[in-house]
Amino acid sequence: MRALILAAGRGAGLYPFTNTRPKAMLPMAGEMLLHSALKKIRAAGVSDLVVVVGHRADRIINEFGQGSRYGMTIQYIRQDEPTGIRDAISLAKGHFQEDESFLLVYADVLASENMYRQVVQAFGSFHQPVAAICHTPHAQNYGTVYLGKDMQIERLVEKPVEREVGNYVLAGVFVMPYRLFDLLESFEMDEALNELCAGEGLRSSIWEEPWLDAQHPWDLLQGNRMVMDTWSEARVDGSVRLRGAVQFRGPVVIEKNVVIESGASIFGPCFIGENTFLGNGVLVRPYTAIGANATIGFGVELKNCILFNGVRVGRLSFVGDSVVGEDAVVGSGTLTLIQNLDQSEIVVRMPEGKVDSGLDKVGSFLGDGALVGASNTLASGTVVPPGEVIPHHYTYPRGEN
Amino acid sequence: MCGIAGMAASANVSQKLLRSIAALEYRGYDSCGMAVQRNGVIDIRKNVGTVETVNSLERFTDMKGLVGIAHTRWATHGGVTQANAHPHADNESRLAVVHNGIISNYKELKQRLARDGAAFRSETDSEVIAHLVAQKIARNGQDVEEGFVEAIDELEGTFALAVISVDAPGRIFCVKRESPLIIGLGDDANYVGSDFSAFFEYTRRAIIMEDGEYALITPESYAVRSLLTRERVDKEVTEIEWDAEKARRGGYPHFMLKEIYDQPTTVQAALQIPREDIQALAGMIHESRQCFLGGVGTTYYIASMGQYFFSRLGGRYLPVVSTDEFAHIAEIGPEDGFCAISQSGETYDTLSALRHAKTKGARTAGIVNMMGSTLVRSVDVPILQGAGPEKCVISTKTALSQAVILLLASMELGLLAGRLSEAEVATLREEVAFLSDLVLDTLNERSGYFHTAAQTHQHMKNWLYLGRGIYYPAALECALKMKEVTYLHAEGMSAGFLKHGTISLIDENMHTIVLMPTPDEAELHALTRSSAEEVRARGGFVLGYRFEGDEVVEGLFSEEIVLPRVSPLLAPFLHLVSGQLLAYFLAVALKRDVDRPRALAKSVTVA
Repeated sequence: MRALILAAGRGAGLYPFTNTRPKAMLPMAGEMLLHSALKKIRAAGVSDLVVVVGHRADRIINEFGQGSRYGMTIQYIRQDEPTGIRDAISLAKGHFQEDESFLLVYADVLASENMYRQVVQAFGSFHQPVAAICHTPHAQNYGTVYLGKDMQIERLVEKPVEREVGNYVLAGVFVMPYRLFDLLESFEMDEALNELCAGEGLRSSIWEEPWLDAQHPWDLLQGNRMVMDTWSEARVDGSVRLRGAVQFRGPVVIEKNVVIESGASIFGPCFIGENTFLGNGVLVRPYTAIGANATIGFGVELKNCILFNGVRVGRLSFVGDSVVGEDAVVGSGTLTLIQNLDQSEIVVRMPEGKVDSGLDKVGSFLGDGALVGASNTLASGTVVPPGEVIPHHYTYPRGEN
Repeated sequence: MCGIAGMAASANVSQKLLRSIAALEYRGYDSCGMAVQRNGVIDIRKNVGTVETVNSLERFTDMKGLVGIAHTRWATHGGVTQANAHPHADNESRLAVVHNGIISNYKELKQRLARDGAAFRSETDSEVIAHLVAQKIARNGQDVEEGFVEAIDELEGTFALAVISVDAPGRIFCVKRESPLIIGLGDDANYVGSDFSAFFEYTRRAIIMEDGEYALITPESYAVRSLLTRERVDKEVTEIEWDAEKARRGGYPHFMLKEIYDQPTTVQAALQIPREDIQALAGMIHESRQCFLGGVGTTYYIASMGQYFFSRLGGRYLPVVSTDEFAHIAEIGPEDGFCAISQSGETYDTLSALRHAKTKGARTAGIVNMMGSTLVRSVDVPILQGAGPEKCVISTKTALSQAVILLLASMELGLLAGRLSEAEVATLREEVAFLSDLVLDTLNERSGYFHTAAQTHQHMKNWLYLGRGIYYPAALECALKMKEVTYLHAEGMSAGFLKHGTISLIDENMHTIVLMPTPDEAELHALTRSSAEEVRARGGFVLGYRFEGDEVVEGLFSEEIVLPRVSPLLAPFLHLVSGQLLAYFLAVALKRDVDRPRALAKSVTVA
């Protein structure tokens, strides 16, 4: 079976991280979404892919190329205008045979185990178009499913926003017949799926493991935790250098050439990417993911956060419940505040306005290349645009700050 | 639903066929059998029980032959007896047939064939196939294929079937209409089965049969032909990507979820139980001085719900006794009645209670899912649930169906007692018919709420279910569901009882779920509200299950789940479904062995 991967989506809600990359290239637990998806798709026995790329296509093409490094063959189709899923799928029509069923994947969802294999097997067992479905607390934002007998999907209702619902929703993985392309010539995606339900039938494949479609920057932290919760063992590369006593606990994953100075404490689950440097006395608490080529200075505390590649955190800083974009710099002595005094829900100041996070602990979100000067204190729910420079903060001489 | 398997091979087939029907056992498990052909003789062995039991009785593995068919049965026509088990043969046992489905014109065929000399040995619809095919073969100069196809033309209904005959050694003939049938292609053998489970151990190459086709299978070859033209049909050979365990569950992650989703169908099946049967039960209750209801575990709680139905609609108080205590307490005599409820019909405690009641001369009735079980055979008035096989140890769909049957019986009792008119009963039955859709609606539009609640509260170790009136036994059953599948501590309690002691347990380590009545039940509603307030006043977390359109309870609960708008008659059923869903999603979140919880067995046949 071959696969059609939709990776053109931008994920505008994930500002400030998706100006410079497609949603599928966001990292969680040390791995980009698309990378994790392709690995699982490969493990499900599918290695011949057609990938639709759009927003910042270069990032995907540079990373995956022809796919040979991943044991796959990848062809790319460019969707230049962000005109939606229907168009993205339709662009691929010429790449598939008339009697071919194919794996269709929305590359921007995260599942903790191999959802793709489950869908391929459901197709193998029942020889019917298949759609993975799952539960999410935000069902009304998705294609909601009505099940009949024997796991058949009777019909779909797309984003029933007028009220909250508790239906299963489409989880973004399908096995579709070639006929989908024909249907999409006259129908929207949800209508086309309803046509399938009424025709040859559409079988559901119920996904019960954790699933996430990140909509907001703080969702990345949830995805990060979701993946790390499946880890049960520590894995430290042989090339890692420990310069003195370093304490490890739990499933700690450390990639090659990482250098850790004495006095550091590393508590898993956590991830440290290749070539990263951790200074003396660094405290890495659970659910921290540090990208490659990062520098973490003396006495820094990190907890429940994602640092993209090339991040620098200066000495004696605290970064928690936060996401820090590529090559961003957190000046020494900088604190991210993570909680309101009354422990109320944190409101995040997104460009479109304030958004309720629904969480009582949220730190800051720093775009790629942001530069936070020394000794700053960032209020919880702060969003720093990519490349923004926040000056040093000092108390003397007064008035020049 | 039944399961069929067949195999044509170059080596003895009995061992492999045995494994095939064992793998198909999820499709039915009340009886099974096998037919193997060798040296112009067909050896048929079959009996009542699980595949393992029947094998120990009949020793399938001693059978010798290179071609054979086998069957595992879930009775629909005819009781569970050795004679009714498959395979079935013609008069001279020159052929044998296994069948899954229903032959709707079997009565006419049976009369005609009997006139022509067919000697019927069973009460099944399937046996007519054997005699019909035999007759057609004889009329076609022993041409088995021609006879087979002519016979199929005369069958009405749905079927998947396989035939072996001494007149066509080494061959299996098979055909399907609506019921599933698949051919498997091996290296030195070919297979046929109801689904891939039948031969997934042997091969992954398969051909999917369609309606209007029949097939002929030998150890080396196969041919699929059109029933209409007899022309060969080119079939695609499919490589099966296959998760056997899951496919057996129809693709559901667990039998429990499958059976929860079977419930809309189960409700309909309960409504299709012949009204005379339900009336017979109501008649027995009506005529008895007092009539006990008995069950144990879930069935005890379902009986307790029945108690409320009989009181409300039938105007009768029926004592309910847990059958393990029955002999110690029930003062029962010849003027009394006893209605026992048991999914398997083999529950030790319930059978003991039944014996006790019979010894005392009482009249007896049983509500049972397993046809042919001891309970069915032992009672004066048996009612068969028709809910289909329930494989998960945790009872879901059969419990709901038992409650529906008790509701229907209470209406008939109301009619007999002169409390309800025929027209009122008709209206009530129509109302019950909505239950199927309401359950489906609950599953479709609300299941996510229970999933979210389970995710959010999975760390809570203690749960308390509260309800008043009929919602009290519903609370007990919801708590039992949670206990058995999640291993968490859960208690059900009447909400009024709470303040007489148990309320001292309320703290941050115990969550309370309140089963709200419908707003139409004003008094019950007010009382239940005050119980919820008592818990909250002590700092307890309250998850309220309320119905759509109930505005009174706004702000009453810490969290709430809203169920579809429903009449008071059907409301408790939706609470049962709620209890199942929360228990299921909690068990999945906690990674429990959902279908086989520790220490539990499907049918408890010991004291």
